[in-house]
Amino acid sequence: MTVGLGLPGVGEPRGAADPQPVRATVPGGGSYRLWLYDVGLACCAVEFVAATLDGTLVDQGVEPYAGTPDRADVLVVSGTVTDKTAPAVRRLYDQMPEPRRVISFGSCANSGGPYWDSYSVTKGVDTVVPVDVYVPGCPPRPENLVDGLRHLDVLVAEAAQP
Amino acid sequence: MTGPVLEQVRAAAPSAAVADGDGLLTVDVEPSEWVLAATAARDHGGFTFLDFLSAVDESDAMRVVCHLVSPAPFQHLMLRCLLAADRPTLASLAPLYAGARWHERETAEMFGISFLDEAGAVLPSPPLLLADGAAHHPLRKSFLLQPRLERPWPGAKEPGESDGDVSSSRRRLRPPGVPEGLA
Repeated sequence: MTVGLGLPGVGEPRGAADPQPVRATVPGGGSYRLWLYDVGLACCAVEFVAATLDGTLVDQGVEPYAGTPDRADVLVVSGTVTDKTAPAVRRLYDQMPEPRRVISFGSCANSGGPYWDSYSVTKGVDTVVPVDVYVPGCPPRPENLVDGLRHLDVLVAEAAQP
Repeated sequence: MTGPVLEQVRAAAPSAAVADGDGLLTVDVEPSEWVLAATAARDHGGFTFLDFLSAVDESDAMRVVCHLVSPAPFQHLMLRCLLAADRPTLASLAPLYAGARWHERETAEMFGISFLDEAGAVLPSPPLLLADGAAHHPLRKSFLLQPRLERPWPGAKEPGESDGDVSSSRRRLRPPGVPEGLA
């Protein structure tokens, strides 16, 4: 079951062309405001921040900065994960409540990216935590984060279908 | 370094020899006189600042390189010593320069060089940049990057060259750092 949340706001009612809320459905039904936790490890984190600046995410029911992992719904890993930082990323994931989702944002987090042959870079954050959506790009554009969240929304909604 | 200071270093470390160092004053010493030479340079030459300490893998030996600076008058000193390639150890400069341990720990994890305290015991060097428990030393020449052995090298000059295209008239590109016969 997918339930739309009312949008806070003033002025004219929204039309079809306006941004629609990202509505994530959890197993068991219901919909909730998405709280993101960004693990900003390299320059992709700048693109993540850029995606949060104009209010697009907030308009769509996404809170970009959960502040702590224990109230986050989606872990966004943006940047280069090294073998040294991988346990810290894993610890953040472990601190998140279920249901939890992971978006790998950018080439480095996806596969190691330009550091594919490095001795210290983890070859993809999916070797550390399960990843739901991979956003390609080096770096991805800020809009791609919104796009990734939409893909995640579709995935979750499909998984919730009886 | 002025003449008298070099004399002081030589008095403390008789093995000290001026080497060609691309413009920087470069002094080679025996590992056994490493701390003595640095002490003389600091106390008599005014080299009170340790800029960096690192190493070079010269295949048959490990060369530890230490750059010391005298702030006034402004002078450089490159202190070097050659270690045996198998189980290289060297006395730590940490009692002289408080910042030396950071560089020594990096050198220890990147080159596998052990640094010893004044009693001759190996100082603990938990990795700074590598994962905990990592046993490899990436800046050693004997360390090969496994992905470079397994995949075609993407740094080709011509299109198609890196795809392992056997019809190419050019020799297949060998990735940097991979010896002949392995790639």
